Amino acid sequence: MHELLLFASVPAHQHHELLQQLAGLTAMQPRHRLERRVIYKAYRKPGLINTRVGASQDLQGHDMQRLNKMLNGGMFYTQVVGPVSEADFGAQSPSEDPDAPMSGTDAEEGSGNHLYNYENQPWKLEFRDIPEAGTRSAVTSRLMASASLPKGDISTPMNAWGYSYVTEYAVEGDAFILNDIVIFLHRVLHYPTEQESHAPRRQLPPFQQMSPLERTGSYVLQASITVQDGGNQEMMRTASQHLFGLREQLKSAVRLEQADRLSLDTRAK
Amino acid sequence: MSAPKQDQLKTLEQSRQRLVQLTHSLASLITSLNQSDPLPPWNSLQSQASIISKNLLSVSDHLSDNRELLTSLVAYPGPEYPSRTQANTLEQLLRTKLDPRVDDWVARGRKAGASALEDKGTLSEADLAELWDWAPVEANEEARQRNWGGNFTLEEREAGVQNVVTGLRRVLEDEGDESSEEEEGEEDEMEVVGVRRQSTGAGFEFDIAPASAHQKPVEPVVPLDGILRYMTTGVSPGNR
Amino acid sequence: MSENFSLPLRPLVEKPERPDSLPVEIAQINAQYGSFRDVTEESLRAKIEADKNKDPWSEEDDGEKELSDEDTAERLDQLYKKRAAITQFALQAHMETSFALDFISLLLSKNTPVQAEMSMSPYLKQVAPLGSLNAEVIHPPPKTEAAVNDTKSVARGWRLQNFNSAANKLLDSATRLESAVESETKYWNEVLAVKAKGWKVCRLPRERQALGVQYGFLEATPMFRDRGLAALRRTNDGSLLLDKGLIPLKARTVRVRVKSHGQLTGCSKRRPTTEDADSTESRILQARDTVYEEELFHELVREARILGSQGVTTRQNLVRFPVSEEQEVLLDLVDDGHELLADDEPTSHEHDPVADALAHSVRILLAYAHRQNLRRRTQPPPPLSPKRRQTPEYQLLRPVMAYLQHSSHVRWLESLLNDVNQVLKSAGLTSDFTCTPFSSLNFKRFNSSVPKVEALVQEFLLPYESTFSGKLVCPQSSFRTKVRTNVVTPPFGTHYDISVNVPQYPEIRPPNRIGLQDEAAWVLTHFVLLDILTAICQVKATGDKKKEGLLTWQAAYPHDGELMAVSSTGQCRKMKVSLSRHELTVDVYAIREIDAFRRPAATKTSTIRSHTWKLGDAAGQPSLEDFVAEVSKP
Repeated sequence: MHELLLFASVPAHQHHELLQQLAGLTAMQPRHRLERRVIYKAYRKPGLINTRVGASQDLQGHDMQRLNKMLNGGMFYTQVVGPVSEADFGAQSPSEDPDAPMSGTDAEEGSGNHLYNYENQPWKLEFRDIPEAGTRSAVTSRLMASASLPKGDISTPMNAWGYSYVTEYAVEGDAFILNDIVIFLHRVLHYPTEQESHAPRRQLPPFQQMSPLERTGSYVLQASITVQDGGNQEMMRTASQHLFGLREQLKSAVRLEQADRLSLDTRAK
Repeated sequence: MSAPKQDQLKTLEQSRQRLVQLTHSLASLITSLNQSDPLPPWNSLQSQASIISKNLLSVSDHLSDNRELLTSLVAYPGPEYPSRTQANTLEQLLRTKLDPRVDDWVARGRKAGASALEDKGTLSEADLAELWDWAPVEANEEARQRNWGGNFTLEEREAGVQNVVTGLRRVLEDEGDESSEEEEGEEDEMEVVGVRRQSTGAGFEFDIAPASAHQKPVEPVVPLDGILRYMTTGVSPGNR
Repeated sequence: MSENFSLPLRPLVEKPERPDSLPVEIAQINAQYGSFRDVTEESLRAKIEADKNKDPWSEEDDGEKELSDEDTAERLDQLYKKRAAITQFALQAHMETSFALDFISLLLSKNTPVQAEMSMSPYLKQVAPLGSLNAEVIHPPPKTEAAVNDTKSVARGWRLQNFNSAANKLLDSATRLESAVESETKYWNEVLAVKAKGWKVCRLPRERQALGVQYGFLEATPMFRDRGLAALRRTNDGSLLLDKGLIPLKARTVRVRVKSHGQLTGCSKRRPTTEDADSTESRILQARDTVYEEELFHELVREARILGSQGVTTRQNLVRFPVSEEQEVLLDLVDDGHELLADDEPTSHEHDPVADALAHSVRILLAYAHRQNLRRRTQPPPPLSPKRRQTPEYQLLRPVMAYLQHSSHVRWLESLLNDVNQVLKSAGLTSDFTCTPFSSLNFKRFNSSVPKVEALVQEFLLPYESTFSGKLVCPQSSFRTKVRTNVVTPPFGTHYDISVNVPQYPEIRPPNRIGLQDEAAWVLTHFVLLDILTAICQVKATGDKKKEGLLTWQAAYPHDGELMAVSSTGQCRKMKVSLSRHELTVDVYAIREIDAFRRPAATKTSTIRSHTWKLGDAAGQPSLEDFVAEVSKP
């Protein structure tokens, strides 16, 4: 799959109004999204990968094949993304009693005491290639693939694939859909402690303690279209045209632009 | 009989300069008429007309201010002038007789001026003179009481600007009122579609409104590529 | 405002004999001074001088009004003529000022040759040497009083006329401005009124300077969605005009009619006509309704086309679907103001409520489809691929058809069972059944992720199911029937699932999924028959003293309803029971012998006794039990 993108930086003071404008443009209410994102980096040359993820993991063979293909191409940074809710932040882990039945992340909601169970955290591996160079088109275009990962602990399978933990952050924002385009107005949130860690957190701090990476609180507007077959020139052109159309519609509010290619460089040197 | 003195020559030089301006402005009107089909934009046409009129007025003011000098100055060809071969040009230059159409125009003015006095029901010559003395001052005064341009009329401002139904959500600023800058009570609810008046005056334009002063504008300190780089590889901005 | 501003703009003079012939140019120049204070006799004269070559008679102001009637070509022609006139004036004015400039330049070239030469025309430079014009200051004789007066008179005349003309122009402009303000005020008030009613007012996408009102449905098919916007135009007097472009002006409605046995027996209500049909509000409403109705009909036809196999037919402007053998429903799109044709007139209004209910249902279902579209539209889209996403046909007809067909089947079965019950009752037999129509509808399973209204409609999109259960004649026997109707996914149509519990015949199972009513009726009555046979056989078993010595019946050929009894004397009797929804008949024959296959010999004796219990028979008949006891006497 290919992904075509345009970006814009949105100062904090414009955020509220832009949300309204996007809601008007797309004729829909914003869909709030909160994600954990974990960055992994390949530490060894791709080669023979023995993926013994564990018997309990229910990865489908198809997904597994795709994952292997995706991860064997070269040395890359890659992201693991897991959806969370605001209630998950600052929530207790379920009791450590190994006999206790595993409960879903929101199973305890009825008791009024929300728990966050890391073991049930769903994950998706999001692979992105470095954007294509020298394209005449004014959009960022890159190869992409994603696959579901087993729930819960991802360090073990990721290490097995030759990836080591780099860092973790959260992304908070609102998504809109305009035909084929997903418009995501978001910002990066830091975890409060900057102490060294080597694996994703098993517990999340209270949401109020999260601080924006960009300290003025600005947002990033990302407009993207995925194309099934990147080799289909006509589809790629159509997708670009759609993005340009959006850029034109939004031009008096924000300037959507191609991203600096090297800022999206996922190659691990 | 004497040759013109230095200051008189200066007056003549001023006449020349003003005529130069008038000639230029007329020439530029002709050029722009020739270059456009069917007509230049009305606003450019109007501004040209206004320039011509200003230059014309400047010539006319000058002529009347220096009436005494100019009526007592006579011009005649010097011996150097090739009168024999260029008599026509000379005649053209020294012509004082009015063009027949202008002559007719003067005649009509004369007739109108005379008949105005003949009619018993209208103002006498003295009354007219008085009226014409009075009117410009009075009209000017009236004009000064108005605010030409601005969002509210004088009457509206006296009755209280807040009572005016504009139908607009945004608050129109009242330039006439110095204190208005302190009231920053813009409504919370923003229109998705903004309306603004185009500066060229051609109606309204509807647009997705650019950022308004909702919050204190603070520009981001981390550039976009810094954020994207962090999101991609975890490299903190400014830490490269 | 005009009341306290009473400065007279027009001088009190006699009307000039000729219409004001002041050239436009001069008036314009005058108007641009901003104040009349600067207008002096001299300046006027100077202007007169400068403009002396302009033709003051060339044009009149009142030419413009006629222009509006002329067609574009003529106006263009006019425009070019005026342009030529302007150019000519400008050229002449330029020429005159050039002469004046040449004159003064040549005059000055004696003293300041360098400067003066710059403003001389090339021609003059060629013919006249610099400094060849002399000037002297003289003492001219004073002007005669007559000459002064004459000048004054001319100036007064033109001044009066110019004031007059300027005043006229100002007043005209004021009038025009006033009417423009009035019409703008009117227009904007109407726009605000529309907005105040809650309509969405926005700019038109293709005509950025016009306002529009959005009354359509965002989730409709693009063809209809884009029609949901009309421009709010301003007429000359400022009133608001709803400009719907190419949309037909007529209001149209989907009409639903019910036809039973070839006769129209019901028609949905027409839309009530609004009192104030010309108000902007009701015009917007009408436009909204019409676009909804047209979309509804469009979608009905689209859906009908895939339902051909289920008996749905379409014609140019008609969709027709069968409910039962004798009933069908017609849907068409009609103009609101249409007159009923004679053969359109329903013969009765029996099914008006049905037609109305259907009309409401399809509209609710379209609204539901819109909500589903919104849901789909706001989900993350699949990757772009050459395959185009197609909108599936909406479920409008299918749920409605299913509902009608289902309830028709349920009613039929109910009446069948009622009839059989009646017949049995008149024979003194007791049986009972309960009917739970639409038992599949469950409004309690709402889940919070779907809004209530949607969950409510969703129930009607599932297959319908009704259940019948009851006891038969024998206490141990019972039956259960499920009626299922499905028009969305195969198997289409209505099916009966009958299950019975008749202990005497455990091996007999009714067929699965019976599709035909006749077959279902046969199966059900057959089991009742079997049960009756069992009951007859059990009469003896009750061990009543009175019945001592009576013959004992045994089922011989139960599926044919035949019983046999053999007396101790060897006498043989046969009983044949037959049951339909209309009657129960019992015939008793005497048989001489039984062949090897226990079949009655071909030579039957005549009937001993016979009795028929009919539907609707009055009470007081002998019961079946009595009859059997009677015929069982040896």
